[in-house]
Amino acid sequence: MDTTATKSIKTLHFGEINVEEKHIFTFKDGMLGFENLKQYVLISDEETVPFKWLISLDEPEIGFPLLSPWHIDLTYSPGREIDTDKVVLFVVVTLDSSKGQMSANMKAPIILDVEKQTGEQRILRSDKYSTNYLFPNKEDK
Amino acid sequence: MLVLSRKIGEVVTIGNSVKITVLSFDRGVVRLGIEAPKTIPVHRKEIHDKIVKMNKEASKTEFAALKHALTGGNMIFSEDNNGKNRKSADILFAQIKK
Repeated sequence: MDTTATKSIKTLHFGEINVEEKHIFTFKDGMLGFENLKQYVLISDEETVPFKWLISLDEPEIGFPLLSPWHIDLTYSPGREIDTDKVVLFVVVTLDSSKGQMSANMKAPIILDVEKQTGEQRILRSDKYSTNYLFPNKEDK
Repeated sequence: MLVLSRKIGEVVTIGNSVKITVLSFDRGVVRLGIEAPKTIPVHRKEIHDKIVKMNKEASKTEFAALKHALTGGNMIFSEDNNGKNRKSADILFAQIKK
């Protein structure tokens, strides 16, 4: 496979960009609530570090902000059902602009299989994690 | 919708691999025992619906709003220094520089 092949896509967030095939992941079941959107490109913009973006190729106006769960909780441990040596994990972040509050869905992480370039959003069996975990905030201290 | 009546201890099968047993019924609460392969996710519908709602909200996040929230500097991030995502995570992403 030619790993340098690029594809031009028009995104709401980043304008028109060229993405390489190696950054495109297939979610065979889509994201929950977006079952028909199967192809996503992974984007990191220096202006929103440490967040990443999961942008739909089918509907490029759809984009999910992601964060490594360990950026939020160093003790995050999704359980034995996920082999963290083999996959890369992210969680979906929701921003409530009116309150300036962010929350992360720790209960349903995004699991990326790097070798196969596939991804899925899996609901963990464990009840340990919340679907809307509020970020620690400096004002809380 | 298919409607079946079952007594306590009786089972419904779905396909070749899923079995649902009625374990008990008490004060309006039915307890079900569900045997399914790991590849079939089984969850209470409320959890599923909540995640759909969270995803819908997240999918509308504006780049500028996130950037603004970040520049507020109110957020605290761990360093991810136990490095679970250390090796491969960054190279997966197309980098955008302004």
